[in-house]
Amino acid sequence: MAKQLTPLGRFLLILCGLSLVGYGAYRYGLFGKLARTVAPERKQEGVVSKDDFGSTSSTTPGSTSSTRTTSGPVSGGSRLGRPLRVAIVLWGGYAGGIMANGGMAANKNSTFYKDFGIEVELLQIDDFVKSRDAFRAGGDKGGVDIIWSTVDAYALEYGGLEKLRPKAIMQYDWSRGGDAIAVDASIKSVADLRGKKLACAQETPSHYFGLYVLSQGGLSNRDVNWVFTDSAVDAANVFKAGKVDAAVSWSPDVYVAAREREGGHILASTKEASNLIADIFVARGDLVENHPEDVRRFVGGWLKGVEMVRQNPTRAATLLQTSLTGVNSLDDAKAMLDDVKLPDYAENRAFFDQGGSLVNYHSIYQTAQNIWRKIGKISSVEAPKNTMDTRFLDAAAEWFAGATTVKPEFEFKAPAKPQAESILTKTVSIYFPSGSSTLDENAKAVLDTQVVDLAATFGSSYMRIAGNTDNVGSREANVRLSQARAEAVRRYLNTKGFAGNKFQVVGNGPDKPVADNGSDEGRAKNRRTDFEVVPQS
Amino acid sequence: MNVREPVRNRTARLLALCGVGVFLAVWCALSYGGLVPRIILPSPSDVLQAFPVLHFQEALVRSAGASFYRVMMGFLLAAAVAIPLGLVMGTFPAVKHFFSPMLDPLRFLPISALVPLFIVWFGIDDLQKIVFLFVGIVVYLLPLVVEAVEGVEEVYLQTATTLGATRGQLVRHVLIPGSMPAIGEALRVMNGIGWTYVILAEVINAPYGLGALITVAGKRSHVDQIFALVIVILAIGVVTDQVIRFVNKRLFAWAG
Repeated sequence: MAKQLTPLGRFLLILCGLSLVGYGAYRYGLFGKLARTVAPERKQEGVVSKDDFGSTSSTTPGSTSSTRTTSGPVSGGSRLGRPLRVAIVLWGGYAGGIMANGGMAANKNSTFYKDFGIEVELLQIDDFVKSRDAFRAGGDKGGVDIIWSTVDAYALEYGGLEKLRPKAIMQYDWSRGGDAIAVDASIKSVADLRGKKLACAQETPSHYFGLYVLSQGGLSNRDVNWVFTDSAVDAANVFKAGKVDAAVSWSPDVYVAAREREGGHILASTKEASNLIADIFVARGDLVENHPEDVRRFVGGWLKGVEMVRQNPTRAATLLQTSLTGVNSLDDAKAMLDDVKLPDYAENRAFFDQGGSLVNYHSIYQTAQNIWRKIGKISSVEAPKNTMDTRFLDAAAEWFAGATTVKPEFEFKAPAKPQAESILTKTVSIYFPSGSSTLDENAKAVLDTQVVDLAATFGSSYMRIAGNTDNVGSREANVRLSQARAEAVRRYLNTKGFAGNKFQVVGNGPDKPVADNGSDEGRAKNRRTDFEVVPQS
Repeated sequence: MNVREPVRNRTARLLALCGVGVFLAVWCALSYGGLVPRIILPSPSDVLQAFPVLHFQEALVRSAGASFYRVMMGFLLAAAVAIPLGLVMGTFPAVKHFFSPMLDPLRFLPISALVPLFIVWFGIDDLQKIVFLFVGIVVYLLPLVVEAVEGVEEVYLQTATTLGATRGQLVRHVLIPGSMPAIGEALRVMNGIGWTYVILAEVINAPYGLGALITVAGKRSHVDQIFALVIVILAIGVVTDQVIRFVNKRLFAWAG
């Protein structure tokens, strides 16, 4: 006889049924599948390792445009008829332009106006996003015509700005100490960062600097726990508050944070990685196309200002202090100038020339683009030459007669002290024939892609070349051989134009194994050359 | 149209539809017509195309979930603090006078300036974000609750007193039920405040979060994504608003 179910009974029955179905779905992974469809995870970042930096010969797959002419004389177009508006930030690298302009406001007493016939208005917009908003609006509509960027960041934001047809027109500084990594007392070298919390402002030069230093020190982007902040100042503050183990940020905040945290210190800065963060000006396409003569005069006037800064740094510091908001004292201004290197006309030409400097616009742009693509920040890529326009630099030659040679910038008066601590060690496998210390073409190619860029990027630092062998054969013979091989590497690197004292050669023989000599695999790992970056002083 | 002339339901819906239609038409005209450059104002189709990118690459749903969780927690926390405190302050003017020199100025609190402090005090995980949202909401919610309690008409209190109600009964049977509809309405309005602060709350260490996504999209000049994300936030806002409105209606139907 069928009995009527009570409401409670019916409820329990339905509950049982549902839980059975639910369990089944769980067993067969339906929930996971559903979650992945309805709420997919963020696309996982690729791994950035040491091989991703410096291999400038790599091709640009799927370039979005083929030829866009950016060479040839400056001609055509009309004059702008109003002051050129340029967005800058609180940073010492603008000393050249501020000097040529005699301050921030457009005026007729400036070198820009008197010698170059152009009025320039410099606008301090410290907020990155707002400066980009102003750039999109354009100088005609109360925005700006030219923005600051860095080559690495430009490679990242180019896609977003592409509709404006932006062009890099000149380099105004190298960061030299302006960007740095502050770490707590437990971290002595890059390798110690493994598993630590590292703060930085996402998708900024700090982020790039962090990726670079990690990868060259043998770690990858996945070996640290990134803590992303909105601004570099926030990253420094989080470090100061003890919430993270390390932070990449910029001057002066990063130095203040390192000083104020108990045991905090600077692990590495662009003082050592001297040729990594290049600050550049990017102009709107309509400005470059319609008013090329104004751009040429701007570039010329700015670089004349760089010469003026070199002749009279005190006056430059005074002007920086009075012009920029946020410079508290003359000493602050001088420190800001010390954090940058202002390239002159000849250095600018070499920088934009693909075969000019060892580290140049093309190599940095290409490398940065590969990195950002690898961690999924960009999907389309562009050939570096399409993102710049050097006509203005070329056509500014009339104002810089004789300034054609670039002198080596760094001096290494004495060899490095043998005990000096290195901040990072890049391990490279270079193949030598058994018992020989001759570099073949293959080995040279490895050095070209893996070491030359590192040595040039850490332009101001010493580099210790340490040869290592496995334990097969006598120790004395191995030490001698490793020394000879390291020496061969040094001779080759010196042909690339590095100063003689930059490199220091060590033959460790079998004394410093990194793996077990008992297996073939371990022995192969032990046959290696370590390139140690040793800061000056 | 006369002043306060009532509109029939069907007409109301029609008018709402027209408003949206006109808005979309103006948007289309401005963007497709080329009146405003695409890089400043993306077209409707640009914005639509941003959704799949956000969904498949930037974990849009998880981010919305994370932000929703933070806003809700901040909101509930604020309600848990503001409602009892506001009831007491509204009931006993002495208590109100005791707190008001500290609480009144808080409405002018430039909370964005406190972001670094919150990081120092509460770390960089969800706690910091939730506490930040809590403070942002509670400073507005509290005065509204006090006002709601004070707004209960004197005549009810007098009637209850005449009928011999004790102090506790006055609070339980007159002030609390009398102020609840206004408090419910205050909660509905405050639900929106949390979302306006979500970008500030997620400036640091938010692997998932709509605010963090907007920040990144802004850095990269992806105006289309910013629009898409704003639409998502608006949609969440409208839905939660409707839910609270529905609940209020069910609970306080007597308030009319």
